[in-house]
Amino acid sequence: MYLVADISVEICAAKSCKLCTQYCPEANTIQYSDEMGKEQGFKYGSAYVAVDRCKGCAQCVWVCDNMAKNNAIKMIMIDQLPKAALTDNITYGEKSTTAVLASPVVG
Amino acid sequence: MSLDYVKFSNGFEKFMPKEYRDMVEHGPFGKKVTVSQMGSFKEVLEEHPMCAGCAMTLFIRLAMIAFPNPEDTITVGTAGCGRLAISQAAIPFVYGNYGDQNGVASGLSRGLRLRFGDKPKDVVVMAGDGGTADIGFQQVLHSWFRKERFTTIMLDNEVYGNTGGQESGMTNRGAVLKMAPLGKKFEKMDMLQMAKVAGCAYVATVVPNNPRRVESVIKKAVLIAREVGSTYIQAYTSCNIEYAIPTDKVMEDAKTVENDRYQFTEYVSEEAKQYLTERYGYKEFLAKPAAPAAAIPGKA
Ligand SMILES: Cc1ncc(C[n+]2csc(CCOP(=O)(O)OP(=O)(O)O)c2C)c(N)n1
Ligand code: SF4
Ligand code: SF4
Ligand code: SF4
Repeated sequence: MYLVADISVEICAAKSCKLCTQYCPEANTIQYSDEMGKEQGFKYGSAYVAVDRCKGCAQCVWVCDNMAKNNAIKMIMIDQLPKAALTDNITYGEKSTTAVLASPVVG
Repeated sequence: MSLDYVKFSNGFEKFMPKEYRDMVEHGPFGKKVTVSQMGSFKEVLEEHPMCAGCAMTLFIRLAMIAFPNPEDTITVGTAGCGRLAISQAAIPFVYGNYGDQNGVASGLSRGLRLRFGDKPKDVVVMAGDGGTADIGFQQVLHSWFRKERFTTIMLDNEVYGNTGGQESGMTNRGAVLKMAPLGKKFEKMDMLQMAKVAGCAYVATVVPNNPRRVESVIKKAVLIAREVGSTYIQAYTSCNIEYAIPTDKVMEDAKTVENDRYQFTEYVSEEAKQYLTERYGYKEFLAKPAAPAAAIPGKA
C-alpha cells in the first residue's frame, strides 16, 4: 500500500484557490471541477486528485496548509480512500473537468 | 510541427488511448493556456519516471504550459534527469549526446529557418547544470557567441542527480555530496554573467515556487529567441534525493534558496525590449510617464 493525496471537498470548496494544482509536480494530477461541492451550496467548485497519477510526495499538503492556509489535503493509504478519481473517469469540459468518483479504488 | 501532427488520421480516433484523445480535444494546441487555468485542460506532459516531489519535474511541467506555441516547438535535451520527463510529452524531443545539446539545437534551429522561413518554429534546450556548465560548456558558450536563435534553460539542481551525486560547476562551495565527500573546493560558476558577456539577449533566474513568474520568463525567452538572439534561463530545480530534502519541504527549500542565492533577476537587451514591445505588445518596457513634480513643502 502507499499514500496518495486526498482533498476534502467541503474544506477546499470554501476557498478554492487552485494553488495546489499549480504546485503539484505531476501533470494532470490535481484537477479542478467547477461543479464539485455545488450540491452542498459552495459556489466555486473544488480541486481533486487523479490518484492513479499521484506519486505521494505531499507537496500539495504543504501548499494547502502553508500557502493557502486551508488544511484541505491529507495523505491517505490508497485502500482507505472513501472515494477517488481515476484518470479514466475524468472528462474535460471547456473550463473545468468532471469526475465520477469511484469506490473502492483498490478492490 | 504543426497543428496537424497531433490530429487523428481518419478512422483511428476510436483506437487511441483516452489520454491522447483528451490531449487532442482539450490540450493546449492552437489556443492560449495559462498557469491559472491549470487543472482544467489536458497538459502535454504525460506520466514519467522522475522522482516523487522533484522540483525539476514541476519546473518542466510549468515550462511546457508556458511555451507560446507548443505545436510549433521542439525541445532538445541530453543525459540527466530532466530528459526522463521532457521526452514524455506531446512535443517533439531531440536527444543530444551528453553535452552536445546546444550544438544540436544550433543546427536544428537553422534548419527549421531554412525549411519554414519566417514561420516561427521554437527550439528550447533544457539540460542539467552538469550538461550545461560542465560537459556542454564550450558548445553552450559558442552557441551564445554565435547568437544562435534558441532558448537554453539550465535545470540547476546543483549536482549530477542522475548519476548519484557528483559535484558540478554549479554546486556551491563547501557542499558535501555522496560522491564529493570532502566538500566542493571552488565557487559556484557565474553562468549568468557569462551569458551576458557572450551576448545573450535575455538572461533570467527563476525558482519554481512562483509558477506565474516561470510562465512569464519562459514566454519572453522563447519569443525573443525567434528573432533577436540567444536567450538563457537558469532555474533552481532542487534534487530532493541528493540533497535529502523531504518531499513535502521542497517548496520551503525553494523559498530559502531563492532568498539566499536565487533571487529573481532579469536582463533584457534594448533590442529585445523593443522587439517584445513592438511585435508582441508588451507594455512593461515602455517609458514610464514622468512622475508629477513633487510638491514642495510650504508652497501652496
Ligand atoms: C558522454 C557521457 N558521459 C557521461 C554520461 C553519464 N551521465 C548521465 S547523466 C549524467 C549527469 C547528469 O547531471 P546533470 O547534467 O547535472 O543533470 P541532472 O541529472 O542533475 O539533472 C552523467 C554524468 C553520459 N550519459 N554521457
Ligand atoms: S490549495 Fe487547498 S484550498 Fe486551494 S484549491 Fe488546493 S485544496 Fe483547495
Ligand atoms: S502528493 Fe504530490 S503527486 Fe500527489 S497530488 Fe499531492 S503534490 Fe501531486
Ligand atoms: S534524482 Fe534528484 S533531480 Fe533526479 S529526478 Fe530524482 S529528485 Fe529529481
